[in-house]
Amino acid sequence: MDEDCVQLFCAQTTDIAPLFVAEAYDNVEKKIKEIHLESYRGKWVILFFYASDFTFV
Amino acid sequence: MAAVAAIYNQLRFLNTDVLAISTDSVYSHKVFTEVSPSASQVTFPLLSDRTHKISKAYRVLNEKTGSTFRATIIIDPEGMIVTKFVNPLEVGRNVYEILRIIQGIQYSRRTGEGVPANWVPGQSGIIRDPKYVGRI
Repeated sequence: MDEDCVQLFCAQTTDIAPLFVAEAYDNVEKKIKEIHLESYRGKWVILFFYASDFTFV
Repeated sequence: MAAVAAIYNQLRFLNTDVLAISTDSVYSHKVFTEVSPSASQVTFPLLSDRTHKISKAYRVLNEKTGSTFRATIIIDPEGMIVTKFVNPLEVGRNVYEILRIIQGIQYSRRTGEGVPANWVPGQSGIIRDPKYVGRI
């Protein structure tokens, strides 16, 4: 996690994507699990940030 | 969220996965998929960033509300951010543009061609050669 980054526009195009581990709800398996961004290496990933459940995206 | 679910199969076909992230809890995510007709169609994981660590690391946290901006970040298979764009608070995203960007990057990396404005799959790109400078 790149928390020391002080540049206004860091985490931008051509930067290394900060790695993270997060709890997630999997609606297929109907369970809570951990997601490691690192395990997606080799695939394209879309991080789709949205403000809140129950709102449009 | 149904809009993203609608293109998810096409994205998977392009070796692309979706991680949807908000600052809600996983319990909220669970109920969201249970009661919302649009969220019930989701087959990609809904991540919880309650600590704001992820949204801060990606510089997409709205400090005023504690929620994230409508940010879309695409990461390539080597782990590099290839694009980041943020929609207005008032206007939802065009998911077909996200799909087009993935198709465009993959096309460009495969062919070495440039991908011009309003390009759509099936069209050719722009060949980078000095002899074309000033001719397009």
